[in-house]
Amino acid sequence: MTDARVTGLATLPNGTYDVPERDLAGEVLLEAIDDAGCTLSDVDGLYMPKPRPWTDQGFFTTLLEHQFGLELAESVETYTGGTSGGHAFQHAVGDVRDGSVERAVVLAVERNSTIETDDYLEYILSIFDREFQSPAGPTIPGVYAMSLQRYRYEYDVDREDIASVVVKNRENAAANPDALFDDPVTETDVLESRVVADPLRLYECPAPCDGAAAIVITRGDVADDHDGTGDGVRVGGTGAHHPSSHLLGVRGRSLAAFPAIAGAAERALGDADLGVAELDVLEPYTPFPHTEAMLTEELGLFEHGEGAAACARGQTATDGAIPVSPSGGCIGRGHPPMVTPLLNYAAAVRQIRGESPVVDDVGTVLTTSEHGHIDGVTATVFGGDA
Amino acid sequence: MEAASDPFWDALEDDRFLLPSCEDCGEAFFPPSRACPHCHATDIEWLESEGVGTLYAFTRQHRTAPGVPSPNVLGIVELEDGPRLLAQFASEYDDLEIGATVTLQTREYAGTVDRGRLEGRPFFEARLRD
Ligand SMILES: [Zn+2]
Repeated sequence: MTDARVTGLATLPNGTYDVPERDLAGEVLLEAIDDAGCTLSDVDGLYMPKPRPWTDQGFFTTLLEHQFGLELAESVETYTGGTSGGHAFQHAVGDVRDGSVERAVVLAVERNSTIETDDYLEYILSIFDREFQSPAGPTIPGVYAMSLQRYRYEYDVDREDIASVVVKNRENAAANPDALFDDPVTETDVLESRVVADPLRLYECPAPCDGAAAIVITRGDVADDHDGTGDGVRVGGTGAHHPSSHLLGVRGRSLAAFPAIAGAAERALGDADLGVAELDVLEPYTPFPHTEAMLTEELGLFEHGEGAAACARGQTATDGAIPVSPSGGCIGRGHPPMVTPLLNYAAAVRQIRGESPVVDDVGTVLTTSEHGHIDGVTATVFGGDA
Repeated sequence: MEAASDPFWDALEDDRFLLPSCEDCGEAFFPPSRACPHCHATDIEWLESEGVGTLYAFTRQHRTAPGVPSPNVLGIVELEDGPRLLAQFASEYDDLEIGATVTLQTREYAGTVDRGRLEGRPFFEARLRD
Protein backbone atom coordinates (compact mmCIF):
# COMPACT_ATOMS: atom_id res chain seq x y z
CA MET A 1 0.00 0.00 0.00
CA THR A 2 1.28 3.43 -0.94
CA ASP A 3 0.63 6.68 0.85
CA ALA A 4 -1.66 9.56 -0.09
CA ARG A 5 -0.44 13.15 -0.33
CA VAL A 6 -2.30 16.41 -0.67
CA THR A 7 -0.56 18.04 -3.62
CA GLY A 8 -2.96 20.87 -4.34
CA LEU A 9 -5.86 22.80 -2.91
CA ALA A 10 -8.13 25.77 -3.42
CA THR A 11 -10.69 27.49 -1.22
CA LEU A 12 -13.11 30.33 -1.88
CA PRO A 13 -13.58 32.89 0.88
CA ASN A 14 -16.73 32.07 2.86
CA GLY A 15 -19.47 34.56 2.05
CA THR A 16 -22.37 35.03 -0.35
CA TYR A 17 -22.09 34.19 -4.05
CA ASP A 18 -24.66 34.88 -6.74
CA VAL A 19 -23.37 32.48 -9.41
CA PRO A 20 -24.51 28.84 -9.72
CA GLU A 21 -22.82 26.15 -7.63
CA ARG A 22 -21.25 24.71 -10.80
CA ASP A 23 -19.23 27.89 -11.28
CA LEU A 24 -17.98 27.92 -7.70
CA ALA A 25 -17.07 24.24 -8.17
CA GLY A 26 -15.31 24.91 -11.47
CA GLU A 27 -13.34 27.76 -9.95
CA VAL A 28 -11.90 25.69 -7.10
CA LEU A 29 -11.38 22.64 -9.34
CA LEU A 30 -9.19 24.56 -11.79
CA GLU A 31 -7.30 26.42 -9.08
CA ALA A 32 -6.59 23.21 -7.12
CA ILE A 33 -5.36 21.43 -10.26
CA ASP A 34 -3.10 24.38 -10.98
CA ASP A 35 -1.84 24.38 -7.38
CA ALA A 36 -1.04 20.66 -7.76
CA GLY A 37 0.90 21.30 -10.97
CA CYS A 38 -1.17 18.74 -12.88
CA THR A 39 -3.86 18.85 -15.53
CA LEU A 40 -7.51 17.78 -15.69
CA SER A 41 -6.37 14.75 -17.71
CA ASP A 42 -4.41 13.54 -14.68
CA VAL A 43 -7.53 13.35 -12.49
CA ASP A 44 -9.02 9.86 -12.24
CA GLY A 45 -11.21 10.17 -9.13
CA LEU A 46 -13.83 12.73 -8.06
CA TYR A 47 -15.33 12.68 -4.55
CA MET A 48 -17.98 15.07 -3.25
CA PRO A 49 -20.26 15.52 -0.31
CA LYS A 50 -23.68 15.29 -1.98
CA PRO A 51 -25.05 18.85 -2.13
CA ARG A 52 -27.96 19.32 0.24
CA PRO A 53 -31.57 19.35 -1.02
CA TRP A 54 -31.75 23.08 -1.76
CA THR A 55 -29.04 22.73 -4.41
CA ASP A 56 -31.22 22.40 -7.50
CA GLN A 57 -28.57 20.58 -9.52
CA GLY A 58 -28.64 16.84 -8.92
CA PHE A 59 -26.04 14.32 -10.17
CA PHE A 60 -23.43 16.97 -9.44
CA THR A 61 -20.35 14.81 -9.99
CA THR A 62 -21.75 13.63 -13.33
CA LEU A 63 -22.30 17.22 -14.40
CA LEU A 64 -18.71 18.19 -13.51
CA GLU A 65 -17.29 15.13 -15.25
CA HIS A 66 -19.15 16.11 -18.40
CA GLN A 67 -18.44 19.85 -18.17
CA PHE A 68 -14.71 19.35 -17.66
CA GLY A 69 -14.22 16.28 -19.87
CA LEU A 70 -13.03 14.06 -17.03
CA GLU A 71 -12.54 10.34 -17.46
CA LEU A 72 -12.65 8.71 -14.06
CA ALA A 73 -11.96 5.38 -12.41
CA GLU A 74 -14.18 6.37 -9.49
CA SER A 75 -16.69 9.08 -8.66
CA VAL A 76 -18.65 9.26 -5.43
CA GLU A 77 -21.15 11.51 -3.68
CA THR A 78 -21.61 10.89 0.05
CA TYR A 79 -24.27 12.23 2.36
CA THR A 80 -24.08 11.89 6.12
CA GLY A 81 -24.68 15.50 7.18
CA GLY A 82 -21.61 17.31 8.50
CA THR A 83 -19.33 14.31 8.02
CA SER A 84 -20.15 14.13 4.29
CA GLY A 85 -16.99 15.97 3.25
CA GLY A 86 -14.99 13.93 5.76
CA HIS A 87 -16.25 10.62 4.39
CA ALA A 88 -15.73 11.79 0.78
CA PHE A 89 -12.14 12.70 1.66
CA GLN A 90 -11.47 9.43 3.49
CA HIS A 91 -13.00 7.44 0.63
CA ALA A 92 -10.60 9.18 -1.76
CA VAL A 93 -7.63 8.54 0.54
CA GLY A 94 -8.57 4.85 0.70
CA ASP A 95 -8.76 4.57 -3.09
CA VAL A 96 -5.44 6.36 -3.54
CA ARG A 97 -3.77 4.25 -0.89
CA ASP A 98 -5.00 0.95 -2.38
CA GLY A 99 -3.92 2.05 -5.85
CA SER A 100 -7.30 2.08 -7.60
CA VAL A 101 -6.99 5.85 -8.13
CA GLU A 102 -3.81 7.83 -8.81
CA ARG A 103 -5.01 11.38 -8.47
CA ALA A 104 -8.27 12.18 -6.71
CA VAL A 105 -10.07 15.49 -6.41
CA VAL A 106 -12.26 15.99 -3.36
CA LEU A 107 -14.59 18.89 -4.00
CA ALA A 108 -17.34 20.54 -1.95
CA VAL A 109 -19.68 23.38 -2.78
CA GLU A 110 -22.64 24.82 -0.93
CA ARG A 111 -24.78 27.96 -1.12
CA ASN A 112 -26.75 28.47 2.05
CA SER A 113 -27.79 31.92 0.79
CA THR A 114 -30.35 30.23 -1.47
CA ILE A 115 -32.51 28.74 1.29
CA GLU A 116 -35.04 30.57 3.47
CA THR A 117 -34.73 30.07 7.23
CA ASP A 118 -38.19 28.44 7.47
CA ASP A 119 -37.29 25.92 4.76
CA TYR A 120 -33.94 25.20 6.44
CA LEU A 121 -35.65 24.58 9.78
CA GLU A 122 -38.09 22.18 8.10
CA TYR A 123 -35.13 20.36 6.54
CA ILE A 124 -33.58 20.13 10.01
CA LEU A 125 -36.79 18.54 11.35
CA SER A 126 -36.30 15.83 8.70
CA ILE A 127 -32.96 14.74 10.16
CA PHE A 128 -34.36 14.13 13.65
CA ASP A 129 -36.35 10.94 14.29
CA ARG A 130 -39.42 11.99 12.29
CA GLU A 131 -41.77 9.73 14.19
CA PHE A 132 -40.74 10.43 17.78
CA GLN A 133 -38.59 13.60 17.90
CA SER A 134 -39.50 15.93 15.01
CA PRO A 135 -43.12 16.67 16.07
CA ALA A 136 -41.64 18.29 19.22
CA GLY A 137 -39.95 20.83 16.92
CA PRO A 138 -36.24 20.53 17.78
CA THR A 139 -33.48 22.58 16.14
CA ILE A 140 -29.72 22.03 16.03
CA PRO A 141 -28.94 24.88 18.47
CA GLY A 142 -31.65 23.37 20.71
CA VAL A 143 -29.83 20.07 21.17
CA TYR A 144 -26.44 21.75 21.57
CA ALA A 145 -28.02 24.08 24.15
CA MET A 146 -28.91 20.98 26.16
CA SER A 147 -25.41 19.49 25.95
CA LEU A 148 -24.00 22.86 27.00
CA GLN A 149 -26.39 22.85 29.96
CA ARG A 150 -25.37 19.30 30.97
CA TYR A 151 -21.67 20.09 30.49
CA ARG A 152 -21.90 23.04 32.88
CA TYR A 153 -24.15 21.09 35.28
CA GLU A 154 -21.88 18.07 35.50
CA TYR A 155 -18.52 19.84 35.61
CA ASP A 156 -19.45 23.27 37.00
CA VAL A 157 -17.87 24.99 34.01
CA ASP A 158 -17.60 28.78 34.09
CA ARG A 159 -19.90 30.50 31.57
CA GLU A 160 -17.22 33.07 30.63
CA ASP A 161 -14.74 30.27 29.91
CA ILE A 162 -17.19 28.85 27.34
CA ALA A 163 -17.44 32.28 25.71
CA SER A 164 -13.62 32.49 25.59
CA VAL A 165 -13.64 29.82 22.86
CA VAL A 166 -15.64 32.20 20.65
CA VAL A 167 -13.32 35.10 21.47
CA LYS A 168 -10.26 33.01 20.52
CA ASN A 169 -11.76 31.71 17.28
CA ARG A 170 -13.01 35.12 16.16
CA GLU A 171 -9.54 36.53 16.83
CA ASN A 172 -7.95 33.72 14.81
CA ALA A 173 -10.45 34.28 11.99
CA ALA A 174 -9.44 37.93 11.78
CA ALA A 175 -6.07 36.75 10.40
CA ASN A 176 -7.69 34.37 7.89
CA PRO A 177 -8.55 36.13 4.59
CA ASP A 178 -11.09 33.38 3.74
CA ALA A 179 -13.08 33.84 6.97
CA LEU A 180 -16.56 35.36 7.08
CA PHE A 181 -15.73 37.42 10.18
CA ASP A 182 -12.77 39.77 10.41
CA ASP A 183 -13.67 41.62 13.59
CA PRO A 184 -12.83 40.24 17.04
CA VAL A 185 -15.43 40.08 19.82
CA THR A 186 -15.19 40.20 23.63
CA GLU A 187 -16.65 37.78 26.16
CA THR A 188 -19.21 40.46 27.02
CA ASP A 189 -20.23 40.74 23.34
CA VAL A 190 -20.70 36.97 23.24
CA LEU A 191 -22.70 36.73 26.45
CA GLU A 192 -24.85 39.75 25.59
CA SER A 193 -25.69 38.58 22.05
CA ARG A 194 -29.28 37.40 21.72
CA VAL A 195 -30.32 33.99 22.97
CA VAL A 196 -30.90 31.45 20.18
CA ALA A 197 -31.75 28.48 22.39
CA ASP A 198 -31.24 28.98 26.12
CA PRO A 199 -28.44 29.10 27.22
CA LEU A 200 -26.76 29.26 23.78
CA ARG A 201 -26.24 32.72 22.30
CA LEU A 202 -26.00 34.00 18.73
CA TYR A 203 -22.21 34.51 18.71
CA GLU A 204 -21.84 30.93 19.93
CA CYS A 205 -23.69 29.57 16.89
CA PRO A 206 -21.90 29.12 13.56
CA ALA A 207 -23.04 31.50 10.81
CA PRO A 208 -24.30 29.72 7.68
CA CYS A 209 -22.73 30.98 4.45
CA ASP A 210 -21.70 29.96 0.92
CA GLY A 211 -18.39 28.31 0.16
CA ALA A 212 -16.41 25.92 -2.00
CA ALA A 213 -13.13 24.03 -1.75
CA ALA A 214 -11.19 21.43 -3.71
CA ILE A 215 -8.28 19.25 -2.64
CA VAL A 216 -6.05 17.12 -4.88
CA ILE A 217 -4.87 13.84 -3.33
CA THR A 218 -2.06 12.11 -5.20
CA ARG A 219 -0.59 8.63 -4.77
CA GLY A 220 2.81 8.90 -3.10
CA ASP A 221 4.90 7.40 -5.90
CA VAL A 222 3.15 9.57 -8.51
CA ALA A 223 3.63 12.72 -6.40
CA ASP A 224 7.34 11.93 -6.07
CA ASP A 225 7.74 11.78 -9.83
CA HIS A 226 6.42 15.25 -10.22
CA ASP A 227 8.75 18.19 -10.02
CA GLY A 228 7.99 21.74 -9.11
CA THR A 229 5.49 21.34 -6.28
CA GLY A 230 7.40 19.09 -3.91
CA ASP A 231 5.98 15.89 -2.54
CA GLY A 232 2.83 17.36 -1.04
CA VAL A 233 1.59 16.94 2.48
CA ARG A 234 1.10 13.37 3.60
CA VAL A 235 -2.29 12.19 4.83
CA GLY A 236 -0.96 10.51 7.94
CA GLY A 237 -4.03 8.64 9.10
CA THR A 238 -7.79 8.38 8.92
CA GLY A 239 -10.42 7.07 11.31
CA ALA A 240 -14.14 7.28 12.01
CA HIS A 241 -16.48 6.26 14.79
CA HIS A 242 -20.26 6.22 15.36
CA PRO A 243 -21.61 5.00 18.70
CA SER A 244 -25.36 4.26 19.01
CA SER A 245 -26.97 7.70 19.06
CA HIS A 246 -29.30 9.92 17.10
CA LEU A 247 -29.05 13.58 18.15
CA LEU A 248 -29.85 13.09 21.85
CA GLY A 249 -26.63 11.60 23.13
CA VAL A 250 -25.25 8.08 23.22
CA ARG A 251 -27.56 5.51 24.81
CA GLY A 252 -26.59 5.07 28.45
CA ARG A 253 -23.99 7.85 28.36
CA SER A 254 -24.04 11.45 29.49
CA LEU A 255 -25.11 14.15 27.03
CA ALA A 256 -21.91 15.88 28.18
CA ALA A 257 -19.75 13.24 26.48
CA PHE A 258 -18.89 12.83 22.82
CA PRO A 259 -17.33 9.35 22.60
CA ALA A 260 -17.38 9.46 18.78
CA ILE A 261 -14.54 11.99 18.94
CA ALA A 262 -12.29 9.80 21.05
CA GLY A 263 -13.08 6.73 18.94
CA ALA A 264 -12.37 8.42 15.60
CA ALA A 265 -9.21 10.12 16.86
CA GLU A 266 -7.85 6.88 18.35
CA ARG A 267 -8.25 5.17 14.98
CA ALA A 268 -6.75 8.04 12.99
CA LEU A 269 -3.79 8.42 15.34
CA GLY A 270 -3.26 4.66 15.31
CA ASP A 271 -3.27 4.74 11.50
CA ALA A 272 -0.76 7.61 11.59
CA ASP A 273 1.30 5.89 14.28
CA LEU A 274 1.23 9.07 16.34
CA GLY A 275 0.27 9.93 19.90
CA VAL A 276 -1.88 12.89 20.88
CA ALA A 277 1.18 14.53 22.45
CA GLU A 278 2.88 14.56 19.03
CA LEU A 279 0.18 16.74 17.46
CA ASP A 280 1.15 20.34 16.76
CA VAL A 281 -2.28 21.78 15.92
CA LEU A 282 -5.98 20.81 15.97
CA GLU A 283 -8.40 21.98 13.29
CA PRO A 284 -11.66 20.42 14.50
CA TYR A 285 -15.22 20.61 13.20
CA THR A 286 -16.76 22.03 16.39
CA PRO A 287 -19.63 24.41 15.59
CA PHE A 288 -20.37 25.43 19.20
CA PRO A 289 -17.83 26.62 21.80
CA HIS A 290 -18.48 23.92 24.42
CA THR A 291 -17.97 21.26 21.75
CA GLU A 292 -14.45 22.53 21.00
CA ALA A 293 -13.65 22.50 24.71
CA MET A 294 -15.10 19.00 25.06
CA LEU A 295 -13.16 17.78 22.02
CA THR A 296 -9.88 18.75 23.66
CA GLU A 297 -11.02 16.75 26.70
CA GLU A 298 -12.13 13.73 24.66
CA LEU A 299 -8.65 13.69 23.10
CA GLY A 300 -7.15 13.56 26.59
CA LEU A 301 -5.40 16.94 26.36
CA PHE A 302 -7.27 18.22 29.41
CA GLU A 303 -9.32 16.65 32.22
CA HIS A 304 -13.09 16.45 31.69
CA GLY A 305 -14.58 19.83 32.49
CA GLU A 306 -11.24 21.64 32.10
CA GLY A 307 -11.20 22.35 28.35
CA ALA A 308 -12.96 25.71 28.46
CA ALA A 309 -10.78 26.99 31.30
CA ALA A 310 -7.69 25.84 29.38
CA CYS A 311 -8.86 27.95 26.43
CA ALA A 312 -9.48 30.95 28.70
CA ARG A 313 -5.89 30.55 30.00
CA GLY A 314 -4.58 30.68 26.43
CA GLN A 315 -3.46 27.06 26.20
CA THR A 316 -5.31 26.58 22.90
CA ALA A 317 -4.41 29.98 21.43
CA THR A 318 -2.07 30.22 18.44
CA ASP A 319 0.87 30.69 20.83
CA GLY A 320 -0.40 28.16 23.36
CA ALA A 321 0.73 24.61 24.08
CA ILE A 322 -1.72 23.16 21.52
CA PRO A 323 -3.29 25.67 19.11
CA VAL A 324 -6.93 24.77 18.37
CA SER A 325 -8.71 26.24 15.33
CA PRO A 326 -5.95 28.67 14.26
CA SER A 327 -7.99 29.15 11.07
CA GLY A 328 -10.94 30.39 13.13
CA GLY A 329 -12.91 27.13 12.93
CA CYS A 330 -16.65 26.99 12.24
CA ILE A 331 -17.36 29.89 14.58
CA GLY A 332 -14.80 32.31 13.15
CA ARG A 333 -14.71 31.27 9.50
CA GLY A 334 -18.48 30.87 9.01
CA HIS A 335 -19.96 27.47 8.37
CA PRO A 336 -21.04 25.88 5.09
CA PRO A 337 -21.31 22.35 6.56
CA MET A 338 -20.63 20.47 3.32
CA VAL A 339 -17.45 22.51 2.79
CA THR A 340 -16.24 22.88 6.39
CA PRO A 341 -14.36 19.54 6.55
CA LEU A 342 -12.36 20.55 3.46
CA LEU A 343 -11.66 23.97 4.97
CA ASN A 344 -10.17 22.15 7.97
CA TYR A 345 -8.01 20.00 5.66
CA ALA A 346 -6.93 23.06 3.67
CA ALA A 347 -6.01 24.87 6.89
CA ALA A 348 -3.97 21.87 8.05
CA VAL A 349 -2.12 21.56 4.74
CA ARG A 350 -1.37 25.29 4.60
CA GLN A 351 -0.01 25.18 8.16
CA ILE A 352 2.30 22.28 7.33
CA ARG A 353 3.36 24.05 4.13
CA GLY A 354 4.31 27.04 6.29
CA GLU A 355 1.63 29.29 4.78
CA SER A 356 -0.36 30.03 7.95
CA PRO A 357 -0.22 33.64 9.14
CA VAL A 358 -0.57 32.59 12.78
CA VAL A 359 1.22 29.27 13.49
CA ASP A 360 4.80 28.22 12.60
CA ASP A 361 6.78 24.98 12.46
CA VAL A 362 3.72 22.78 12.13
CA GLY A 363 4.44 19.13 11.34
CA THR A 364 1.25 17.32 12.36
CA VAL A 365 -2.39 18.42 12.46
CA LEU A 366 -5.48 16.51 13.57
CA THR A 367 -8.75 17.51 11.90
CA THR A 368 -12.29 16.26 12.44
CA SER A 369 -15.75 16.37 10.94
CA GLU A 370 -18.96 15.49 12.77
CA HIS A 371 -22.65 15.09 12.11
CA GLY A 372 -25.87 15.38 14.06
CA HIS A 373 -25.07 16.10 17.68
CA ILE A 374 -21.53 14.76 17.28
CA ASP A 375 -23.21 11.36 16.80
CA GLY A 376 -20.61 10.36 14.23
CA VAL A 377 -17.08 11.70 13.70
CA THR A 378 -14.28 11.38 11.17
CA ALA A 379 -10.72 12.20 12.19
CA THR A 380 -7.93 12.80 9.69
CA VAL A 381 -4.29 13.39 10.59
CA PHE A 382 -1.99 15.34 8.27
CA GLY A 383 1.78 15.05 8.37
CA GLY A 384 3.89 12.50 10.20
CA ASP A 385 6.40 10.05 8.78
CA ALA A 386 5.55 7.25 6.36
CA MET B 1 -47.01 -5.85 7.67
CA GLU B 2 -47.25 -3.85 10.89
CA ALA B 3 -45.06 -0.90 11.83
CA ALA B 4 -42.87 -1.59 14.86
CA SER B 5 -44.43 1.40 16.60
CA ASP B 6 -48.15 0.62 16.02
CA PRO B 7 -48.78 -0.61 19.61
CA PHE B 8 -47.28 2.64 20.94
CA TRP B 9 -49.62 4.85 18.90
CA ASP B 10 -52.66 2.66 19.57
CA ALA B 11 -52.05 2.86 23.34
CA LEU B 12 -51.38 6.62 23.22
CA GLU B 13 -54.93 7.12 21.84
CA ASP B 14 -56.12 5.78 25.22
CA ASP B 15 -53.70 7.97 27.21
CA ARG B 16 -51.53 4.93 27.94
CA PHE B 17 -47.79 4.99 27.48
CA LEU B 18 -46.30 1.72 26.22
CA LEU B 19 -42.57 1.14 25.98
CA PRO B 20 -40.90 -1.61 23.97
CA SER B 21 -38.92 -3.94 26.19
CA CYS B 22 -36.59 -6.80 25.35
CA GLU B 23 -37.77 -10.25 26.41
CA ASP B 24 -34.17 -11.45 26.36
CA CYS B 25 -32.16 -8.88 28.32
CA GLY B 26 -35.11 -7.16 30.00
CA GLU B 27 -34.08 -3.62 28.99
CA ALA B 28 -36.76 -1.14 27.95
CA PHE B 29 -35.76 1.07 25.03
CA PHE B 30 -36.97 3.94 22.86
CA PRO B 31 -37.80 4.50 20.02
CA PRO B 32 -39.51 1.21 19.08
CA SER B 33 -37.43 -1.07 16.89
CA ARG B 34 -37.59 -4.56 15.41
CA ALA B 35 -34.52 -5.54 17.45
CA CYS B 36 -33.33 -4.68 20.93
CA PRO B 37 -30.61 -1.99 20.67
CA HIS B 38 -28.92 -3.43 23.79
CA CYS B 39 -28.56 -7.13 22.87
CA HIS B 40 -30.06 -7.38 19.34
CA ALA B 41 -32.66 -9.97 20.33
CA THR B 42 -35.87 -9.70 18.31
CA ASP B 43 -38.47 -10.80 20.87
CA ILE B 44 -40.01 -7.52 22.00
CA GLU B 45 -42.79 -7.10 24.53
CA TRP B 46 -44.65 -3.94 25.52
CA LEU B 47 -44.27 -2.52 28.98
CA GLU B 48 -47.04 -0.43 30.54
CA SER B 49 -45.12 2.68 31.63
CA GLU B 50 -46.28 5.27 34.16
CA GLY B 51 -44.71 7.87 31.86
CA VAL B 52 -42.88 9.34 34.85
CA GLY B 53 -39.26 10.36 34.90
CA THR B 54 -36.78 13.10 35.72
CA LEU B 55 -35.84 16.13 33.65
CA TYR B 56 -32.39 15.44 32.24
CA ALA B 57 -31.80 18.62 30.20
CA PHE B 58 -33.95 21.39 28.74
CA THR B 59 -33.89 24.43 26.49
CA ARG B 60 -36.11 27.15 25.10
CA GLN B 61 -35.72 27.66 21.36
CA HIS B 62 -36.45 31.16 20.10
CA ARG B 63 -36.57 30.44 16.36
CA THR B 64 -38.47 27.37 15.25
CA ALA B 65 -39.80 25.70 12.11
CA PRO B 66 -43.18 26.70 10.68
CA GLY B 67 -46.02 25.13 12.68
CA VAL B 68 -43.87 24.88 15.83
CA PRO B 69 -44.54 27.31 18.70
CA SER B 70 -41.95 30.03 19.24
CA PRO B 71 -40.49 30.04 21.78
CA ASN B 72 -40.53 26.26 22.10
CA VAL B 73 -39.69 24.69 25.47
CA LEU B 74 -38.11 21.27 25.01
CA GLY B 75 -36.48 18.78 27.29
CA ILE B 76 -35.01 15.33 27.54
CA VAL B 77 -36.90 13.10 29.98
CA GLU B 78 -35.15 10.16 31.62
CA LEU B 79 -37.98 7.72 32.31
CA GLU B 80 -38.04 5.61 35.49
CA ASP B 81 -38.21 2.65 33.10
CA GLY B 82 -34.80 3.55 31.66
CA PRO B 83 -34.94 5.18 28.23
CA ARG B 84 -34.57 8.90 27.51
CA LEU B 85 -36.80 10.73 25.09
CA LEU B 86 -37.33 14.23 23.74
CA ALA B 87 -40.53 16.07 24.64
CA GLN B 88 -42.07 19.47 24.31
CA PHE B 89 -42.92 20.92 27.70
CA ALA B 90 -46.32 22.24 28.75
CA SER B 91 -44.61 23.85 31.79
CA GLU B 92 -43.00 27.30 31.89
CA TYR B 93 -39.28 27.38 31.08
CA ASP B 94 -38.47 29.36 34.23
CA ASP B 95 -40.07 26.66 36.40
CA LEU B 96 -37.87 23.86 35.04
CA GLU B 97 -34.74 22.47 36.65
CA ILE B 98 -32.57 19.45 36.05
CA GLY B 99 -33.72 16.52 38.18
CA ALA B 100 -37.34 17.67 38.54
CA THR B 101 -39.97 14.94 38.42
CA VAL B 102 -41.92 15.11 35.18
CA THR B 103 -44.76 13.19 33.65
CA LEU B 104 -45.76 12.52 30.06
CA GLN B 105 -49.23 13.24 28.79
CA THR B 106 -51.09 12.83 25.53
CA ARG B 107 -51.90 15.91 23.49
CA GLU B 108 -53.53 16.66 20.17
CA TYR B 109 -51.02 17.25 17.40
CA ALA B 110 -52.07 19.76 14.73
CA GLY B 111 -48.75 19.74 12.86
CA THR B 112 -47.91 17.95 9.65
CA VAL B 113 -44.60 16.24 10.52
CA ASP B 114 -44.76 12.50 9.77
CA ARG B 115 -48.55 12.63 9.53
CA GLY B 116 -49.08 10.19 6.67
CA ARG B 117 -50.14 6.96 8.33
CA LEU B 118 -50.33 8.83 11.66
CA GLU B 119 -52.93 11.34 10.38
CA GLY B 120 -55.20 12.38 13.22
CA ARG B 121 -53.12 10.57 15.86
CA PRO B 122 -52.19 12.40 19.07
CA PHE B 123 -48.60 13.03 20.16
CA PHE B 124 -47.17 13.37 23.67
CA GLU B 125 -45.65 16.13 25.78
CA ALA B 126 -44.20 16.47 29.26
CA ARG B 127 -44.97 18.64 32.25
CA LEU B 128 -43.73 19.02 35.80
CA ARG B 129 -45.58 16.61 38.08
CA ASP B 130 -48.04 18.36 40.38
ZN1 LIG C 1 -32.10 -6.99 24.69
